[in-house]
Amino acid sequence: MAKQILSCNVNGEPVDVLVQPYVTLLDALREDMGLTGPKEGCGTGDCGACTVHVDGKVVASCLMLAMQARGRKIRTIEGLAAADSTLHPLQDAFVRLGVPQCGFCIPGVLMAATALLEENPRPSEEEIRYGIAGNLCRCTGYTKMVTAISEAAETLATQRSAR
Amino acid sequence: MSTMKTTRDVKGVGVSIPRPDGPEKVTGRVQYVADIQPKGLLHAKLLRSPHAHARIVSIDTSAAKALPGVRAVLTAKDIPHLKKKAPTRAHAVLAIDRAVFMGQPVAAVAADELSIAEEALDLIKVEYQVLAASIDPLKAMLPGAPPVADAGTEADTSEALAHSAVAIAKSEAPAKAVNISQQARLQRGDPAKGFAESDHVLEKTYRVPMVHQGYLEAHAVLAEWDRNGLLTLWASTQGSFNTRSEVADVLGISENRIRVIPVECGGGFGGKIRALCEPITAVLAQVTKRPVRYVMTRREELQAGMPAPQVIIKLKTGVKRDGTLMALDAETVIDSGAFSGAVLAVSAVFLGSMYKWPAFDIRGFEVLTHKPSVAAYRAPVAPQTIFAIESHMEQIARDLDLDSVEFRMRHLIQEGDPMVNGQPWQSNGAKQVLSRIAEHPHWKTRKQWVAAADKNGKLRGVGLALGGWLGGLQPTGATVRLNPDGSLAVLTGQVDIAGTNISLAQIAASAYGVDTDLVRITTGDTDVAPMTGLSAGSKTIYTVGAAVLQAAEDARRQTFEIAAAELEASVHDLELVDGNVTVRGMPDKGITLATIGKKGNLYMSKTPPVLGKANPAFTQQAPAFAAQLARLEVDADTGEVTIQDFVIVQDVGKAINPLGVEGQMQGGAVQSLGIALTEGLIFDDSGRLTNPSLLDYRKLTAADLPNLETIIVEVPSPAGPFGARGVGEPPIIPAPAAIANAIQNATGARLTELPMSPERIALALVNGKH
Amino acid sequence: MRRFDLVLPNTLEDCLKILAERGAQAKLVAGGTDLLPQMKNGVLKPAVVVDLSGIARVRQVGNGNGLRIGAAATARELERSPALRGAYLAIAESAAMVGSLQIRNLATVGGNLCNAAPSADMAPPLVALEAQAVIAGPQGERRVPMADFFTGVRQTVLAPNEMLIELVVPPPGAHSGGQYLRHTPRRELDIAVVGVASQLTMADGRCTKARIALASVAPTPVRAIAAERSLEGQAVTPEAIERAASLAIESARPIDDQRGSIEFRKHLVRVLTRRTLTTALLRANA
Repeated sequence: MAKQILSCNVNGEPVDVLVQPYVTLLDALREDMGLTGPKEGCGTGDCGACTVHVDGKVVASCLMLAMQARGRKIRTIEGLAAADSTLHPLQDAFVRLGVPQCGFCIPGVLMAATALLEENPRPSEEEIRYGIAGNLCRCTGYTKMVTAISEAAETLATQRSAR
Repeated sequence: MSTMKTTRDVKGVGVSIPRPDGPEKVTGRVQYVADIQPKGLLHAKLLRSPHAHARIVSIDTSAAKALPGVRAVLTAKDIPHLKKKAPTRAHAVLAIDRAVFMGQPVAAVAADELSIAEEALDLIKVEYQVLAASIDPLKAMLPGAPPVADAGTEADTSEALAHSAVAIAKSEAPAKAVNISQQARLQRGDPAKGFAESDHVLEKTYRVPMVHQGYLEAHAVLAEWDRNGLLTLWASTQGSFNTRSEVADVLGISENRIRVIPVECGGGFGGKIRALCEPITAVLAQVTKRPVRYVMTRREELQAGMPAPQVIIKLKTGVKRDGTLMALDAETVIDSGAFSGAVLAVSAVFLGSMYKWPAFDIRGFEVLTHKPSVAAYRAPVAPQTIFAIESHMEQIARDLDLDSVEFRMRHLIQEGDPMVNGQPWQSNGAKQVLSRIAEHPHWKTRKQWVAAADKNGKLRGVGLALGGWLGGLQPTGATVRLNPDGSLAVLTGQVDIAGTNISLAQIAASAYGVDTDLVRITTGDTDVAPMTGLSAGSKTIYTVGAAVLQAAEDARRQTFEIAAAELEASVHDLELVDGNVTVRGMPDKGITLATIGKKGNLYMSKTPPVLGKANPAFTQQAPAFAAQLARLEVDADTGEVTIQDFVIVQDVGKAINPLGVEGQMQGGAVQSLGIALTEGLIFDDSGRLTNPSLLDYRKLTAADLPNLETIIVEVPSPAGPFGARGVGEPPIIPAPAAIANAIQNATGARLTELPMSPERIALALVNGKH
Repeated sequence: MRRFDLVLPNTLEDCLKILAERGAQAKLVAGGTDLLPQMKNGVLKPAVVVDLSGIARVRQVGNGNGLRIGAAATARELERSPALRGAYLAIAESAAMVGSLQIRNLATVGGNLCNAAPSADMAPPLVALEAQAVIAGPQGERRVPMADFFTGVRQTVLAPNEMLIELVVPPPGAHSGGQYLRHTPRRELDIAVVGVASQLTMADGRCTKARIALASVAPTPVRAIAAERSLEGQAVTPEAIERAASLAIESARPIDDQRGSIEFRKHLVRVLTRRTLTTALLRANA
């Protein structure tokens, strides 16, 4: 089986990379593109640790074949902070509120939370909980995550009205 | 130990400081084992037994070896130094002639790609002779049951004892049944007489299935040998020194030839204490002369990890009508899987001596079965034990129409009361924790809240429970170094899985006398760090914190001695403020920490470098109690439970870092709720796991939970640093009983088997089990 | 996953050509949310995988002459589609329940149906709304009623050289309403222990058509025909609903497994049939 060229856009940059046809998008990001932020927690779409954005939508990258990402726009945790490395308000809130413990679920949770706030800038507590319900966390119990996402929503709203 | 006075304005103990590794974690930059991509990496896969108990007749690896891209295929024959009779799970690197649980590794492959390794497994031909298996522990403990252990194998209880640190009397009677690997009996007074004089006798059997620790990062290890025959292991582990010792023992090599580097650990909770994948990965790396990485799949974790044991507790109590405790009889059966490793003693302590039973007979059995062997899971055996005793106490109170908190409080132990083994209870905050939760408005207004249920088929209930953990002990070491710029470098070997590093920094800062910002903690690997114990047993702050405290005090003493000589003053007249050691009352007569630090590193200097050290062992435990309260609604038709409110009250002695403590309380509580409501490894009669995926092994999602309220209580421990107690384990303990009590309050049904799934609740109501 | 050849057709015609040649060893992948887990567990080991993500024809959802749903429309698209309101709401409801958001953005209705698990959430509403499966093959297109599409556990009427390309849902008429409910132990990331879709069409206070479809209580989705008949021609009173809920149990043949016992599943059939009929009535009369 020959490798195939995967041409797509990753974190704002065009990418052409050779991948085996039988690998997942998660594998290609981690092994072929050096983006180890997205994690494999289960490989079957049941934990959310592999969450990335494809064309703005959260997906379980462990269930997409890498070649299914051809021509599409991918965003991983590595692309969340600003170009000058300023943390996204979600990242900042997570740090300040002491959210990450072992940290393994965090990239997936942040990508889910980012998509949530992009679609629903003023989510209720219930909407936040459902927005990250596809992301399992074993360390934190989710409470601080929900508070942090809520706070980040406020920050983003303030930033928007300041413009 | 003296309590160090902190200098004014020092930012140290008691402050909520976010973990310094936060930014690396939220940007995805932190590296776990699977993220390390060395050149020439090979990928390992293990072929696992499809039978719970079978003789291995033959293995043909020729086709697998011939697959292009395969670099090694190993069976037990290729590892000659393996002990014929594996004393522990780790020693059973590859099954030699018998598989003793479904999922036991039988062969190992290393290949250029994971896909190729998977295909290679398909090509290995194994001939099995299926044997009768012992699956149900109650059957397995009977004489004549199919034997699990090789005859003559010792039960290895070393880790179990480290966890509980409780000395108990082992039973004198020899085990007649081959699968009883540990047993114990504790007695006090005359229970038969007590029961005879009781007005209320309650007997129930409580069952908790095996549950998986559920860490999101599966077991992972990277192994590489250098040309001098030195092995390096990058491991996801809770104890690098323990891993090194186990691997050395299994492979028959000196510990000095192994370096274990603890990589960021994506959750352990007790499941990553014992060695599991390290030995086989090391052998594959040795044979191929390449770096080899093995990452367990989730399916492998669930089928063949090291879960918490199944626990069955038969509990019988006798009480007088006015609530006087008379007698308790209990039999605890702990299903340990194919190798011994359960913590038997904990169950006895909390069944028989959390409340003051004047007479008891408590028997405990560890039973082997043909299932994956167990390891610790955050307060091993305590959630199951508290589920039994706290459900039982609540039921007694209900039956006798007594206030359930008053009933508990009346009989709750305090310092000095005897534990089941005769040892006195150490100072603890059990009563303070119980009072505090009883003061909560959710408890005080429970009757009104329940009555206000929206009569839409939803029933409301409120319940609480109390649990505790004795706290582990393990000797350890730490060093504290003064840098030439006046900052401090602290070195331990402690794997930081609970955010303890920031707390250790705060302890060092407070003890030495500088702001926490000036302290950096380094977690050293086994080559460079002082001997360190497990990040487990709720003992990191209690023991490593104490070591860091003592090392910081030692460093401060050395610093003051140097300053005293320079300033020609007595050490007793010195104080440290803002990085400056001055003579009290003479602020101009001083010497900076940076000056002292530089002097210790100058060519031809006569000043020694400040190197504080401590290597303590410990004898005094610091029990820590937690109580949890749940307000919930039950859909009477479907049995679905909605937790509306949940409160955790916990005695932490001294909250070194309240932010970190809250995180531990909330995380442990959700694990506890999972055990209560949704989790369980379900094996069929042949020993096959029927739910080997996270779809069917159900961990709670954010949508299943409310905000978890935390209330920190501080009853200082005599020996903990600044009075601290262990924090990690107590919060996993009370929820199953609290939820069971709330469900009973809501529906009248008393559930005694976990998880309390919607099916169990709905059918209890349908079948009128009240 | 074991290795395989991957083919990336750009048109339906190209795809059908590949199936004609290699269909027996091939698996189609759209969202991959059922296929990839099975391949990772070694349950399926196809030598060839055919990716449908480049074929535009099978993605649209439209409301022209009746409702047309492309087989590769994702669960998330169905969840939010303005075409799936009113009488078609149960389809959107079932789509909204699949897995998690990360799954719904990938999972397709075609995949859900062609994987044909007894628990497939999107099947019961389509059965209850009498949808037709449009199947493309070497001889052109054919249609099969949804209720006849499934032939066993993970088995459908599809031949190896055929693929599902579209669903056509006839307009149910005025005053028609339905609901899909399922029971799961968790609120997300879960799979139906039992699922029920009820669709009621009313006229002059009487039920002119009742369709009740059950998931996870038989090898395939099944219609509760006795329950349906008990309602047609009648006023739908609470008593009639209760009677139908009891009759629905007769159409269920559940098994005991680690997700649920026979006893619990039968109990849930009654509860969920009662609840969906009650809501279907409200929606039909709205």
